[in-house]
Amino acid sequence: MTTLNPTSRVVSPPPRSLDGRIWLLMRYSGIALIPLAWIHVLIQDVLVGVHRIDLDYVALRWATLGWRVYDMALLGFAFAHGMNGLRQVLEDYITRDRPRRLVRWGLFAAWLVITAIGAAAIVGGVGRGAGEVGGS
Amino acid sequence: MSPLRTVITGSVRYRGREGQLAFILHRLSGLGTLLFLALHILDTSTVYFFPALYKEALALYRHPLFMLGEIFLVAAVIYHGTNGLRIALFDLFPRLWRAEREKPSVYTTLAVTVVLWLPAAFIMGRSLIGHTFLGWE
Ligand code: HEM
Repeated sequence: MTTLNPTSRVVSPPPRSLDGRIWLLMRYSGIALIPLAWIHVLIQDVLVGVHRIDLDYVALRWATLGWRVYDMALLGFAFAHGMNGLRQVLEDYITRDRPRRLVRWGLFAAWLVITAIGAAAIVGGVGRGAGEVGGS
Repeated sequence: MSPLRTVITGSVRYRGREGQLAFILHRLSGLGTLLFLALHILDTSTVYFFPALYKEALALYRHPLFMLGEIFLVAAVIYHGTNGLRIALFDLFPRLWRAEREKPSVYTTLAVTVVLWLPAAFIMGRSLIGHTFLGWE
């Protein structure tokens, strides 16, 4: 009989299915996001602040290869984690097959397009013709 | 009842205590952060695709209401991360979990969130007030 007041619980190892791997990935990407997202927020929102951010600031930051790699990792982890989280939330409330498939493909397409746009900007850097931005 | 109404009334009536509170806060903070992140990827991308437009995006972010929202966004990111770590630790190391640890673990995440958020909220709040009422810059 199941008890109403469990004093221990069992988490079986995730199955080697796609869902099982995604379950694990949510946890690993979440742990990676603690330093990645928190340091990003601490620097940009708290210490620098939106009033000191402009094209020159972005150009200066991206002149350092390390920050581009950092931003790329943040983009990859955070947006994939978040969009898969949104899929999980929606699938809690959408149980019929067809709408579910629609949601999955819709979210996958949106994730792919927005990630590609963000990655292109990180690789491309600050565009020319923006009023002589020092790139070094 | 429509599914959405069931979700909302059910969430209010279901007495799941601390665990349910953590679940709801985790869900809302995750979705809120995701909404902002999607916007933020697109607006930052203008620096490459349409550099002249980036100024407009910044003007939006510098609006007092947006700066106020930013302070709550930081709270969401801190709480979601702290509670996510709690979930991940209990799931990856099930031996850590005990029934009597459930309640204190939720209060710990709330306390950690407040302690980390207060200094950030102070600095950001000062900037909000300075730029809105004291004519900074
Ligand atoms: C800061 C570090 C983060 C950690 C430690 C973390 C951890 C987690 C974990 C473990 C889950 C799975 C919960 C479950 O399966 O029950 C989750 C779900 C989720 N996360 Fe994160 N996360 C972090 C950052 C983010 C960010 C930056 C976003 C937004 C882009 C985000 C959005 C979401 C969403 C929407 C869900 C689904 C919520 C739900 O199922 O109720 N997370 N997170």
